[in-house]
Amino acid sequence: MKRIFNWVLTHPKSILLLLMLVTGLAVSQMRHIHIETDMDAMLPKHSDAYINKQVLEERFGSTDMVIIGIINDTKDGVYNTHSLALVQELTDWLGEQPLFRTLALNDLLSLATIKDIRGSDAGLDVEKFMDGVPETQAQIDHLKQRIHEFGVYENVIVSADGSGTIFAARPMPDSRHQYAEIYDLVKAKVAEIEARGGSERFFISGRPVIEGVFGAYMPAEMKRMQPIIMGLLLLLLYLSFRTPRGVLLPMAVVVVAEVWTLGTMAALGAPIYTITTMLPILILAIGIADAVHFLSRERLLAHYQAYGHRKERLVEVMHELWKPMLMTSVTTGVGFLSMLASDLPPIRDFGMFAAIGIAYALLVTMLLLPAAMMVLPSRKKHDERKPMFSGYVEWLGTAVLRHPKRIMAFFAILLAVSLVGIMKLDVNASLVDQFKPGDPLRQADKMLNQHFSGTTSLDVMIDTGRENGLLEPVFLQHLIDLQSEIEKDPMVGDSSSIAEFLQTMNQALHADAPAWKRVPESSDMAAQYLLLYSFSGAPDDFETFMTGDYRQAHIRINMKTDETRVVAALLDRLQEKTDNWFPAEQGFKVEWAGTGFTVYRLSQMIIDGQIASLATSILAIFLLCWLMFKRLLIAAIAMIPVSLAVSVNYGMMGNFGIPLDIATALTGAMALGIGVDFAIHYLHRYHEESEAGHSYEESVINTNRSVGHAILFNAFVVIGGFLVLLTAALYPQMKLGALIAATMLVCYLATCYLFPVLLGLGKEKIKV
Amino acid sequence: MNKLTLMMLGATLLLAAPVCSAEPTGLQIMQMVDARDDGDDLIQHMQQRLIDRRGDVRAREMISFRKDYGRDSKSITYFLAPSNVRDTALLTWDYDGVAKEDDQWLYLPALKKVRRISASDRGDYFMGTDFTFEDIKQVPELEDYNWSLIGSETVDGHDMWLVEGEPKSDDLKKNLGYSKTRYTIRKDINMYVRVDFWDRKGQELKHLVSDEIKQIDGIWTAMRGSMTNIQSGHRTELEFSGQRYNTGLSDSTFSERMLKRGYRGE
Repeated sequence: MKRIFNWVLTHPKSILLLLMLVTGLAVSQMRHIHIETDMDAMLPKHSDAYINKQVLEERFGSTDMVIIGIINDTKDGVYNTHSLALVQELTDWLGEQPLFRTLALNDLLSLATIKDIRGSDAGLDVEKFMDGVPETQAQIDHLKQRIHEFGVYENVIVSADGSGTIFAARPMPDSRHQYAEIYDLVKAKVAEIEARGGSERFFISGRPVIEGVFGAYMPAEMKRMQPIIMGLLLLLLYLSFRTPRGVLLPMAVVVVAEVWTLGTMAALGAPIYTITTMLPILILAIGIADAVHFLSRERLLAHYQAYGHRKERLVEVMHELWKPMLMTSVTTGVGFLSMLASDLPPIRDFGMFAAIGIAYALLVTMLLLPAAMMVLPSRKKHDERKPMFSGYVEWLGTAVLRHPKRIMAFFAILLAVSLVGIMKLDVNASLVDQFKPGDPLRQADKMLNQHFSGTTSLDVMIDTGRENGLLEPVFLQHLIDLQSEIEKDPMVGDSSSIAEFLQTMNQALHADAPAWKRVPESSDMAAQYLLLYSFSGAPDDFETFMTGDYRQAHIRINMKTDETRVVAALLDRLQEKTDNWFPAEQGFKVEWAGTGFTVYRLSQMIIDGQIASLATSILAIFLLCWLMFKRLLIAAIAMIPVSLAVSVNYGMMGNFGIPLDIATALTGAMALGIGVDFAIHYLHRYHEESEAGHSYEESVINTNRSVGHAILFNAFVVIGGFLVLLTAALYPQMKLGALIAATMLVCYLATCYLFPVLLGLGKEKIKV
Repeated sequence: MNKLTLMMLGATLLLAAPVCSAEPTGLQIMQMVDARDDGDDLIQHMQQRLIDRRGDVRAREMISFRKDYGRDSKSITYFLAPSNVRDTALLTWDYDGVAKEDDQWLYLPALKKVRRISASDRGDYFMGTDFTFEDIKQVPELEDYNWSLIGSETVDGHDMWLVEGEPKSDDLKKNLGYSKTRYTIRKDINMYVRVDFWDRKGQELKHLVSDEIKQIDGIWTAMRGSMTNIQSGHRTELEFSGQRYNTGLSDSTFSERMLKRGYRGE
């Protein structure tokens, strides 16, 4: 090893040049970075939710629509000439936008496009509810009455009380990368209409809008948080070293490591997901520790003038530190790598690239720091001020020895409270809940869910297994039965299927008599109704409800929430019904899809991945500690602070009602990997102190004196770094930041307060 | 199209000829297309295949009868297959010009009732096909478009005219659903073999292609046709067979009674 270190120190310029070249290469790759906002892409490709979504889009068209709501709180709601003129204007405008697909009825649903089906003296009339803007009160009343009697669109397109109406417009296929643009376009149009005055308020939401906003937020977030975390690091480094190189060299190390990581991601074609936007912060906060250790040690040796030449001193520093640095990097890396146990690509990517970033940080520390120190002119006088908080660290050593019972009691209570919290732990993969409660988008979504049937899609696809199968009266009746079962859920706003339309046609062809609002009595009759309809309607009016061969049917469900809990309860309840009504042995096949289902599957995978990655990381880190300390008991003790911290983490989530989601799911393994470093440093030192023949008390005091400061700095950086996430625009990031910060605090406390107490247990005192 | 009208139109063209340059105008070409002899009546078999974006096919088979009454015409179509719509029949009285709306009745055997089909917009789709009510007319309403000859070309050894039609007003464009249409017309027989349609946003929307054009009873007839909506990926394929022209169909063929009675062979 020393040979390698010597070589590094004798070729500093080559090393620096090499580092610059690699960094340049990484920068050149970074332009290939792309952002992934599609929630379905967060699922593994083999997941049924992912596959069914593709099938759904292929069979029945995409259900991801931009939703625009108009709310008018005046007496007549939107049933007045002014509001209806706006409906017509906005519909016409949407129809002209090249970014929207407006071929079929279901591509652009609004009060001005939906069609009424009703019986006339001799036949079936299919015509738009609104043929131009109604001028007279009589016309408006008629419109209102027809919408109410037709029923299908009440609550869906017009709110039941008439106070609002919505537009659902389908973006062009393959326009996902333009979703942000589409949102801006619609916002600008709405702003133009609002500027003219009027009592109408507008709200924009829908999955494409949500994804578009994510796409816009993510790079902006990365750019915004970078300077904040760098500022924080500069401040902490300045407080610790107070020399330009003490501040700038560690910064250079972590920035290079960050660039390399992003470059690697780009080169491997890994996309940026919402959670991987946190990688830069993570690498900066964790990677800095190695550089800080290196510089402190180098400065200490320089201070004591233990080595005559700078090169010899640097070799000694490298030799002393490479093992502990490697060990802490490995344990942290293992914590992150355990995320590979998850099935979800964002979590896997996050874990893998965090581990890669940590490895880069170690490598760059060992190359850049010594090489730079060789090249930079030697400075005679090193400022040797006492680091901040020395007083506290000194006090800590003796204080812990005086209050073992209080400390034990404190942690026992903390653990008990946490265990209660863990019982209450919930999971939620909601897309909308990723925005803060005050976010305009979440507000709009809330308003739309209050007034209408809901912005979250849930889809059932039923394959009857044979051509014309869906025309059978029994099948149609079961569709209706399933819909009424679905609509029993208060969070389901509405559901629709071809059966509803056939019922309406049946009624229309029997003089609009309400008694005839039932499914056609024979398959032939259903076929003939659809044929009759096709003389007035467009060929694709029902494209979203059934396939052209009348084999597969689709029930579209609108939900008012995408919270996992609600969807899971609904799916559980329906399972029995669908098994009963559409038995597989008769050739039926029932498949679920849509945002609601994606969220449900995501949640399951978050939980499964969580358990797997926690188990993996606990086991792996335990084995590493055993390998390092060579004693089972010590390895077990080393696991105590992190296990406690992880319990507190989940306990807090349960107690504060923070659900497991795609971001907070990372906290367990992350806290474990980062937090165990404290324990390793502490135990390592304590081991050496007791080896040197010191008593228990002396060992505790000495350990604190020598590593207490480094651990404190480490804790500061990590806690501070993650607190930066509190400024994030997205909720999960904020929650993750707060959780990791709090968990690291517990980890620190458990290491520096609980450890000495534990080590002092028993008559013999535990010998390390 | 009766012979008198045809002769009159021919005479008009002859008179107009010296005023025009060697090439006729777009409108004149379309008038010639309109005036083309397509028989006074016709019986033919039709197979319809509606093919969606995924390639799923819904096939139908029908037999249809048509008779011209001056510039108006009447037709009756019986569904033969699939079995769930067998004996469904459609009667249409098609009036020339836009002043009077066409009449349509449909007989549904499951209900045993004749249903009148309400007047549709010309841009509405017809019977689940990719043809609109405007498209199923042999020739569009000429006075609603500004016609212009944009060139000539040779396809498969035939000389063609390219004529573009633009609906005269925005209202018409909205009503028809088209901002522009382009007809490719065989010069030798005054019959279009291809039509391209552009939607109101100016995007290419559909094309209609006629195939296997041959003479039957001396009348040029396309045996196959397909209309493809390139935006939705939906396609309608038509296959015609068993054409018999000028058999002297009686007026009673096109009555409500015949509609209910159903097709019982000839």
